[in-house]
Amino acid sequence: MQKSTSTPCWLGIRLPHLALDLLTRGQARNGLPIAVSESIKRRELIIDCNPAALSVGVKAGMPATAALGLVDTLQVVERDTGAEQRALQRLAAWCYQYSNQVSIPADRNGLFLEAGASERLFGRPQTLGNRLGRELGQLGYHAMTGSAATPEAAWLAAYEGLHIYSAGHIRQQIGPLPLGRLQLDAAQQLALERMGFRQVRDLLRLPRKALTRRFGPTVADYLDRVLGIQADPRTLYQPPETFASRMDLPAEITTSQALLFPLKRLVEELCGVLRGGDTAAQSLQIVLGHEDHEDTLLELGLQSPTQAQARLMTVLRERLERLRLPRPVREIRLEAPQLLQFSAGQHSLFMDTTTEHKQGIEQLVERLQARLGRESVTGITGVEDHRPEYSWRPRTLDEQADCTALAHRPSWLLPKPKRCTIEDYEILAGPERIESGWWDGRDCRRDYFIVRDTHGSTLWAFHEYKPRRGWYLHGIFA
Amino acid sequence: MPQNSTISKLLSTTPQLWQGHRANHAQRTLPTGHVRLDARLPGGGWPLGAITELICAKPGLGEFSLLFPTLTNISKQGQWIIMIDPPWIPYPASLHGHGLLLEQLLLVRTHQEKESLWACEQALSGGQSGAVLAWPERISFTRLRRLQLAAENSGKVAFLFRPENALDAASPAALRLQLEAGGQRGTRINVLKCRGSRPVEPAWIPRPYAQAHTRPIPNPQAPGALTQPVAGTTTSRGQRTISHLSV
Repeated sequence: MQKSTSTPCWLGIRLPHLALDLLTRGQARNGLPIAVSESIKRRELIIDCNPAALSVGVKAGMPATAALGLVDTLQVVERDTGAEQRALQRLAAWCYQYSNQVSIPADRNGLFLEAGASERLFGRPQTLGNRLGRELGQLGYHAMTGSAATPEAAWLAAYEGLHIYSAGHIRQQIGPLPLGRLQLDAAQQLALERMGFRQVRDLLRLPRKALTRRFGPTVADYLDRVLGIQADPRTLYQPPETFASRMDLPAEITTSQALLFPLKRLVEELCGVLRGGDTAAQSLQIVLGHEDHEDTLLELGLQSPTQAQARLMTVLRERLERLRLPRPVREIRLEAPQLLQFSAGQHSLFMDTTTEHKQGIEQLVERLQARLGRESVTGITGVEDHRPEYSWRPRTLDEQADCTALAHRPSWLLPKPKRCTIEDYEILAGPERIESGWWDGRDCRRDYFIVRDTHGSTLWAFHEYKPRRGWYLHGIFA
Repeated sequence: MPQNSTISKLLSTTPQLWQGHRANHAQRTLPTGHVRLDARLPGGGWPLGAITELICAKPGLGEFSLLFPTLTNISKQGQWIIMIDPPWIPYPASLHGHGLLLEQLLLVRTHQEKESLWACEQALSGGQSGAVLAWPERISFTRLRRLQLAAENSGKVAFLFRPENALDAASPAALRLQLEAGGQRGTRINVLKCRGSRPVEPAWIPRPYAQAHTRPIPNPQAPGALTQPVAGTTTSRGQRTISHLSV
């Protein structure tokens, strides 16, 4: 049943445990029982829980108070639909690496992705679906995928992991599904059940006219969209200019090394988004939220934009090694304030050695800066000033170095001129007068000499007239 | 004999192995730029992928300018010179004056000895060629060994500037040189150890200003005496350039 490449094929991605996944994906192992609750008709009901909670008898649908009565270590967290929406936005951006047609349905937790056009790149919808399921699992999300010619049929297929290869097969394949799977509201669902409908095929057998008479046009229209009789245009997702992700940690993290696991998931997500938008990040901000304490801010800067997860993680690992946590961490936020154009030249086949050296040094600088701090790793450049102590400054690596050439000066300058007595030295050459700085209040007048001490070291000394009188050592001819 | 041919094959392919009676020329090297020194070193230059120790009782004996030809070449090839915790500030005008490209110079400042050695190891690892310079105050044999191992995996030249007390300690460095002030003849370079051959007799590197200008110490009370130009011109900003100082 090989499908031709041009036919549209939608992949439905269901995220049935999204609310719970957002709570647990920061943990390496699901050790603690956690449940998500929601107020339904003024009652706080459990809607989902992790295996640890399940094993002690917590079930979806039970009141939160009853669940808490079962285990006292149970954490019940109220559902946050806003966070779910933001997560869907991020995942859509992440999915964008596999298709340029991604859609976020408004009424459910999941995504639609057009897989027909990218079949040559990523294989048949089934292959791509399995891959997405696996990779989303690595990000900490439980995902179920299915595919069909229409988005709504793909959604139904995702329940069973079905892959329906042509529009003609939809009716036959979704027929045996229970009625509850259809995207109908609760009142319609109940009415259908009362009429004795059990399976989707029972409903499909009814003539359209009869359906419309009983339930209004909504149900009939919905079925038409499932079967592909009616067009189902979707608003397509547009990738964002920035990236921001947030992760709550149900179990507090007390050591900086333990942050690596959740951060790896966040970085993985970011890199997916970067690949999707064909963008790259050069700087990252990581905010670690503590309880009753000011947030810890980590800023990571790279020498050049990247999409590579390994490179970001190396820098992050160095940074974390030096980090002291003031308090346990409750939440992590990762932001890439600016997504830059990614130049594929970084994977160029014919790389000349200069580029190679540049990349090597960039990654070294990143590693060093992550551990030692930004200002600890610099270049150096000259500054137009006759006073030697003001004639240099640190330079960032993308800056041009500019300098006058004075080969007769010493190779090293002392950080500060050091008082000395000239009688200890033998004068080899000089004087060289430097008189400068009347305009900035650091006026000086000096005569420089090249001198040698009793050990045979050649040094640079000066006699100052202004502002202080006396002899000073200022450099070493090493 | 088959055994013998295995040994000779090993000898020719492994730079670490050599026969005592002749110098090992399989060591990859970089010319030092000083003919007399090159002639004394196995392979004819600074060993690549290995540590070179420069032991100096006091700074200012020409231990850094000794490297100028090599460093200039490295920078001109677009490779990097990484200085880890230099004890003083490199004077850009002077380095530039000796032909070193400042764009290729990287300075790393750390606050602890441990961090400094870590940075050194990081700089040495990685496949690119270039130079790493460090000034460790104290360094244990095991640490040196780690640096030596890190260097072996790269094509870099590594220079460690070490104080005089390093003379007594054993070292896994491939090359150990001691610099001594040698009066009129310049700086004396004693080859303490060189992997791949027996230590040879010292080399002499001329130093500028070997002869002192026997000039009376100027009287600081009389600044007028100092304004007499030596052999230079006074620029519009009052700076005097002295032509005979150019090295």
